[in-house]
Amino acid sequence: MSEVFLVGLSHHSAPIAVREQVALKDEVLKAGLRGLREVGGVQEAMAISTCNRMEVYVLADSAEPARRFFLDRASTADGHLYERQGSHAVRHLFRVAASLDSMVLGEQQILGQVKEAYGLASAAQTAGSVLSRLCNRAFATAKRVRTETDIGRGSSSVSQVAVELVAKIFGDLKGRAILLAGAGKMGALSAKALASLGADRVLVANRSRERAVALAEQTGGHPRDWDELPELLVEADVVIVSTGAPTYVIDAELTQATMKARRHRSLCLIDLAVPRNVDPGCSQIADVFAYDMDDLQKVVQATKTARAEEALRAEAIVEAEVMAFSAEREARAALPVLAALRRQAEEIALAEAERTLAQVGQKLDEKGRRSVEAMARAIVNKLLHGPTSRLKQAASNGDSTLPGAAAELFGIEEGLADEAAPRAEGSPPSVHMMALPEKR
Amino acid sequence: MSITVLRLATALYAAGAAAYVVFFARPRHRRAATTGYALVALAFVVHAISIGLACSEFGGNEFFNLRGGFGLLGWLAAGAFLLLLRFWPIPSVGAFVTPLVLMSVLPGIFGLGPNAHGAVPAVVRLPSLKLHVATAIGGVALFAIAFGVALMYLLQEREVKGKRFGALFSRLPSLDALDRLNQRLVRSGFAIYSVALVTGAVVAKNAWGSFWTWDPQQVASLVVWLLYGAMVQLRHVGIHGRRYALLTLAGFVLVLTSMIAMGAVPNVTRHGGSFQ
Repeated sequence: MSEVFLVGLSHHSAPIAVREQVALKDEVLKAGLRGLREVGGVQEAMAISTCNRMEVYVLADSAEPARRFFLDRASTADGHLYERQGSHAVRHLFRVAASLDSMVLGEQQILGQVKEAYGLASAAQTAGSVLSRLCNRAFATAKRVRTETDIGRGSSSVSQVAVELVAKIFGDLKGRAILLAGAGKMGALSAKALASLGADRVLVANRSRERAVALAEQTGGHPRDWDELPELLVEADVVIVSTGAPTYVIDAELTQATMKARRHRSLCLIDLAVPRNVDPGCSQIADVFAYDMDDLQKVVQATKTARAEEALRAEAIVEAEVMAFSAEREARAALPVLAALRRQAEEIALAEAERTLAQVGQKLDEKGRRSVEAMARAIVNKLLHGPTSRLKQAASNGDSTLPGAAAELFGIEEGLADEAAPRAEGSPPSVHMMALPEKR
Repeated sequence: MSITVLRLATALYAAGAAAYVVFFARPRHRRAATTGYALVALAFVVHAISIGLACSEFGGNEFFNLRGGFGLLGWLAAGAFLLLLRFWPIPSVGAFVTPLVLMSVLPGIFGLGPNAHGAVPAVVRLPSLKLHVATAIGGVALFAIAFGVALMYLLQEREVKGKRFGALFSRLPSLDALDRLNQRLVRSGFAIYSVALVTGAVVAKNAWGSFWTWDPQQVASLVVWLLYGAMVQLRHVGIHGRRYALLTLAGFVLVLTSMIAMGAVPNVTRHGGSFQ
């Protein structure tokens, strides 16, 4: 019987040099999936491709086609690949979607990326009913993890911490300006992140005018002269400092003067430089909020610790969902046999009822005729009730011998079972027990 | 009868305050905040009924002493709070304001009845007296809410500035939001309190024969009015944030001590109760 197989590599198993060799996007990936689907034994295929991972999920007889998918593209992938099968593959996908396998635990992007991967496989028509159910369950699992645990809480990067801090001081940055002093990489990143709070304008100052202009272009800001710094400090409400200077660029004296000129409007100084560029004494001044790299890193670290604790609760949710999915899938496997069995029995019962009615029908009124039919159906229901529940039970326990035995015992052929879904015309839509008339 | 209704209102206030405290402790339970709002709104209505009943039962004089005054203060503060949240949805303010409301209502439910029976004397039964009582206590109610907000500001500032990014940090609103809210409360409280001062003088003219007699209550009110007036002005020269919050605290402490002093020390003022 075919199963779900996973073959993949991620930041856990492979260096970036290998990951970039197998990373495929959009149309190329679609073509790759279609190619994979062509291979004998492969019924469904899907691939998750992010900068940290490339994973191929197939419904097939073996993992080999998925393995080849990687090795055909990069022979270096050998030795970095991991393989999972059945419920282990299911668990892996659920963990990935819930961001339990991410580089930054609890990050939010991965769920979107998994959704994209499923969308791509659907568009390429390589995702069938099994992978669809698998993915939907994975999305539901991720959502449960996000709402029932605190795994997404807190700030997991320095620039996120900066945004959170500024939000707690100023609310939003509407009508306010950000000053980016110095050309450090972290500075530009944080300035961009802060712009998301709705800042009016980003001012960029650097000792080298060219760098300032280039950085302004990159962050969508306005270049200013370094010599203007004292005035810029008055104009901006949030200052991100990340120069390569070995000393304080903003000292307590300058800040004092600035606050006077600002009429004591609050000022937030974020020092991302090491060695520090902002005098730590600045944070003593009223209405000045000064933070250095250490302060921000501490928050990041605290978030990591808290998320690691939450991850334990998340794993329990994943485990429950994996079990539920496996049980559902196995119960589904027994359904064709059940449906065929029931249809067969109903056909016999209704045919017998018809024969009886043909003989004695004229002696009965409409009510009487209906109660004969109801009786026939009730007998079917009662007879099949035990076998039905035992078959379902066996299937959810992973026992596939009983459905097979039932098929053989009642003479149901496999092919017949597959067509069981659309009902024969004229047969009643459902087999609920009908209430018999009062008179007996 | 009125005291039973008042006890019911107090119980509702207590339940509302508890719901807001729960919301503050567990911000994920947003329903706690909406439940708190509903409970406080219900308490406000029940409280209004109890005030009406008390006036018809005992004549209304009880609201001119300290205990009754605090009851009215709690009622108007609850009303102002409900109105505030309509326009400025910061439910975490509830955890700080509703306990204050509860505390000011509490004295009224102890003891069996009002400690000042009888109708309001005819000399002061003027339309401006109603306005005077409503605006004086309404202004103080806004100052009380500003007090709670200033407290929140100082707590949050300690977190933000001291780099303690703990539970309070994430639960309290931004400093800017608290500062602006505080400012608005002080400004509108001051405007309403000004009306109280003028109408008070009109009532004094009727009762005591002169608009201004340097009665201790008049002096205390003038000091309070000047302090809050100064705060409104100081905003324009850049006093805000921490210093503004501290001033707000100081202002309300002054209001509270003068209220208690005038009400508790016998014969210090002719204001309220006796009117003679």
